[in-house]
Amino acid sequence: MTDNLTPAPSVPGETGLRYVARVTASMSHEMKNVLAIINENCGLLEDLSFAAKKGAPIEPDRLDRTCRQMAKQIERADSILKTMSRYAHSFDHPEEPVDLHDLCQLVATLAGRLAAMRRITLMVEKPEAPCMVHKHPFALQALLWQCLELAIVAASEGSTLTLIPQAAAVTIAGIDRIEGLNGGMSSLPATITGEGTSPRLTLHLA
Amino acid sequence: MSEKILFIDDEKDFLEVMSERMTARNMKVSTAASAKEGLTIAAEGSFDAVILDLAMPEMNGIEVLKILKEKNPDLEVILLTGHATVKDGIEAMKLGALDLLEKPADINALTEKIRAAQAKKMVIVEKKSEEMVKKIMATKGW
Repeated sequence: MTDNLTPAPSVPGETGLRYVARVTASMSHEMKNVLAIINENCGLLEDLSFAAKKGAPIEPDRLDRTCRQMAKQIERADSILKTMSRYAHSFDHPEEPVDLHDLCQLVATLAGRLAAMRRITLMVEKPEAPCMVHKHPFALQALLWQCLELAIVAASEGSTLTLIPQAAAVTIAGIDRIEGLNGGMSSLPATITGEGTSPRLTLHLA
Repeated sequence: MSEKILFIDDEKDFLEVMSERMTARNMKVSTAASAKEGLTIAAEGSFDAVILDLAMPEMNGIEVLKILKEKNPDLEVILLTGHATVKDGIEAMKLGALDLLEKPADINALTEKIRAAQAKKMVIVEKKSEEMVKKIMATKGW
């Protein structure tokens, strides 16, 4: 990590802080769920050991299943922490070339739980050619997060939102209604297209 | 007497292991992986306690608690959550939850809460039976 911790340009302090708070809350909640499952599987091993001491036979298959469960959760925790690390280190460099497909994938992963709570699936479209912008990665994340939060609220439960990286823009398709979008968009460099039929929210990053 | 409990949590792996651990403690366990499924199962059966996750898709634990209590005010509900805020705790208690425990929960603490829920339910059932008997006796003029 570098010592350069200058605030990200073009992201108001409150927006940046809100993004950090929301992501941290969501990820820590996810980690708590993972820990709870590992904790109960450890407890199950204790139960089996206690029963074995009293003469009950231990089934090897049962032990295998518990170990597999713990390994699965550890893998899940590792993936959460890798995402968190990527997100945290995005503040290290003030400005750099940012691949918008990578950016969309990271923000979609960070917002995964938030979307899942509304039974919304997030998808990221892969562009034919890389879409690069030279910006502060943290600033871009905070802006895209804000748009995605608005889109999640404006999408129907059970629907799919698709993030489409383009040259110097990211479009979010799959929104069902534009009510509620306008109010939150005043501070964003974003526009709505296709009102009435299939609204799309485009974040402009030029 | 074994306790009859219902776990409602969207983490299927959590449900699986909790079900096994509680069954080993002589409890009769039902599970539901969504709020909707949980409400259906709760309406169909009689449970000593419902152990409910606070953060779930579709409907959060507080909303589920509200519906459960509306349908059966005597039903004991224990909320489990990854992160409990004071606000959640106060709201849950106001709505009549027995307790709110944080994940990862201590199995002994949870078991004690479930047994306390069953004991509370037994007192309510006995009280209702007594009232019923008194009512019958009064009607018959005994």
